Order: sequence, then structure tokens, then C-alpha cells
Amino acid sequence: MKFTSHLFIFGTIFSGFWLDSLIAEFNIRTYIAALESLPYLVETSLGFLILCYWIYAIPEKIQSSAAFCYGLLVDLCFGSAIGFNMLFFSGISYVIHVYVFRFRIFSYLQLIIFFAGSSMFYVACKYLIFSPENYSYLLLLCSFLINGLLWLPIYFCMRSLRRSFL
Amino acid sequence: MARTTPTHTPALKYILACLVSMALLFSDVNYQTLSPLRGSVQAVGIYSQLFFATTVSRFLEFTSAYENQRTLTRLNNQLRDELQEIDSKLFLQKQSQLITKDMIDLQDRLQILGDQRDGKVLKIASFGLQDYLCCSQHILHLQNPLQFAILMHQPVAVDKTFIGQTSKTHLNLIEVTLFSDSSHILPVKIDGLHCNARGAGKPRLVRCLASEEFKMSDIQEGSLVLTSGLGGVFPKDVIIGKVLSIYEISNNELRIDIALDGNPLDHNYFGILSGS
Repeated sequence: MKFTSHLFIFGTIFSGFWLDSLIAEFNIRTYIAALESLPYLVETSLGFLILCYWIYAIPEKIQSSAAFCYGLLVDLCFGSAIGFNMLFFSGISYVIHVYVFRFRIFSYLQLIIFFAGSSMFYVACKYLIFSPENYSYLLLLCSFLINGLLWLPIYFCMRSLRRSFL
Repeated sequence: MARTTPTHTPALKYILACLVSMALLFSDVNYQTLSPLRGSVQAVGIYSQLFFATTVSRFLEFTSAYENQRTLTRLNNQLRDELQEIDSKLFLQKQSQLITKDMIDLQDRLQILGDQRDGKVLKIASFGLQDYLCCSQHILHLQNPLQFAILMHQPVAVDKTFIGQTSKTHLNLIEVTLFSDSSHILPVKIDGLHCNARGAGKPRLVRCLASEEFKMSDIQEGSLVLTSGLGGVFPKDVIIGKVLSIYEISNNELRIDIALDGNPLDHNYFGILSGS
């Protein structure tokens, strides 16, 4: 695959993580301002879902090295501990590669459940490693529901982008 | 149709990638080994954001300043135009007041000059300046838009003296023959001497020929020259000028050059005494 295609794909993933950080910032502000008594429940994984889409859509072009590099760049750009996104990107890349043709015959609902579950696992690990005191099952459940709702818009949006530019 | 053929996915590369990632994550989380790198990248990001924000801010300041400058320039132009308009209005108002004052003054003087006669103030229409400066014909035209009944041979005055008389009317224009016109003859009185002063064909100059009865010693240069009223056109005893010089043409004849007081070049409004 051309370098520009990789750049484009990384651009979409970067945008997803950037939107995640914006939403998190907005959530924190709202949480501090108005919902102090309520637990913090909204945790989106747009960037992770976008990466899942690209591996799902063009598995032959995004191999382990590409997922590894995307993870490294995301870690560097967003200030995570180096290795976290690399690990999860490589892991989800392997899982999707193994089951990609099985996923092709899945319904949208099954895809939603699988990718929402994956993102919930990603969020759970993130909280366990970096913020165990804030870990809660309610947060994971909300994250599952929110990411499940986000999967289809991401799927159709990225598909239109792929058909237009790649 | 499938876009790719199902192929075997070798796990080794993924396992290797995961192991490397885990090692990096472990070392970074527990020992902060890669924190300098992460910090540097974050610093670059922050600097980039600051640079971008500064650039955007400066650009916005520049556009704002440019817009302000444009607004100020437009306002300045508008104010300058208004100021020019006010200046013009004030100038016109002042000129109008001056003209009105001149006309009132002239009217008053006409009343003094004309005794019982009616005075009309008229504006100049044209002046034969080229002829006036070089030649013998000294004529000016006055406007008569209200079509006053102006007869021929009526005295024309400016300031405190006369300068000529009406000679013709053309439509709404009145032709005035000046004293200095070579065809004009004005009966004058100089220290008891009566003579007919003929226009010299030169600006503000008339000449009088005196007979042998008078000698040069009888008349002084600078003596006042008055109208005698003998011609029936001008009222008597109005000063029209001074004796400029006296020449002896022959044994029994003197030529007296008279400088006229009235200067038609200095005025735009002229008064005509009409009726008798």
C-alpha cells in the first residue's frame, strides 16, 4: 500500500483519538460543573473503532507492522504510556485478521456487539493500568453501549471515505 | 465477490509485536524509561499548538488592525469631505454676505450720488479686458435679468465715483462706455476750469484740453477733478479723479491728464442712476 494511503488511514485514526480527547474534555467540564454527584460514565473509543474498521475493511493492507506503527504514533501524539496502544492495536489486528472472513458474514448487530465489546475491553484495560481507582463496571457498561451506538456511523462514514479516497 | 483470497495469518509477527509493546509498556509504566521521549513529543505538540495559536492570533490581529485602518481611513475621508463641504458653505456664505454688503453700500452711495434719482445695482456680464488694456474702445456689459427700464446715457457708478455711462442695450445686457473710452467726452471742473475730458484710450485716464485763457500755474498736479454737470448726464460736483500731469502743447493750449478714481477692474457690481 502507498505511503499516502497509510497517512490517510492514520489521519482518520488520529482524528478519532482527537475527538475522543475533545469529548473527554467536554465530559470532564460538564461533570465538574453540573454532575459532580454523579459518577463519570462516558468514555468513547472513536479512534480504536476507526482502526478496527480499517483492519476489518482492508486486512490485506494493514498488517501487524502497520498496526504497531499506528499504535506507536498514537502513543507519542496523545501522551499515553508507550506501548499501550501498540499492544492493543497489534492484538486487535491479529484477532480481526484471523476472523475477518467470518466477520464478513456477520450481521450489523453482531459486528456492533463484537466491536463494542472490543472497545469495552480496551477501556477496561486502560482504566486498570492507568487509573484503577476510577475503574467501574457501570462505566464499562456505558462505554459498551456508547461505542456500540457509534460503530454504525463510523462504519458508514469510513466506508464512504475508503470508496472516495483509497 | 470477495476482494481478497483468504490466506493464513502468521501469528509470529503479531506475538512479536505484542511482546515488544508489552515490554515497552511495562518499562514505561513502572520505570518511566520513555517519558523523556513522550515529554519531548508532547512539548513539540504544545509548541506547535502555541505557534499555531500565536500565528492565528497575529493573523486575526493583523486583519483586525487592517479592518480598523480601513474603517479609520473611510471615516477620515468622510470627515474630510464633510469639512470641505462645511468650508465651502462657509466660504459661499461669507462671499454672499460680502456681496450683499457691497450691494447695500453701493445702493447707499447711489442714493448720495444720485440725489433724487433712482439707483439700480447690476452685476457685470463681460468686460473687454483686451481692448481696455491696449486700445481705445473701453466697454463693459452689465446683466439686467429683471429687465429694469434703463435708458441710454445714464451714469454708471462704483464705490464713490462714476466710471462711465450707459450707451446701448442688447437683450438683457446693458453696454457701458467708460470714461477712458476715446469716444467718450465728460465735462469736468478743475479748480474753476471747465473743460471736456476725452477718454485717452488708456485705463483710468482721460485728457482735457485747456484754452489759452489758463496758464499752467493756475492748475496744480493732484488737484481734484469734479463733474461739472454741464452735459446733463452726470450730477455736478462728484469727484471723479485727480490731475495727473499737465503739458503745454503749444503757446495757447494745455493738455491735462486726469487719473480717474473709479477702477472698473476692482468691482463686480455697478450702479446705474436712472431717471432724472
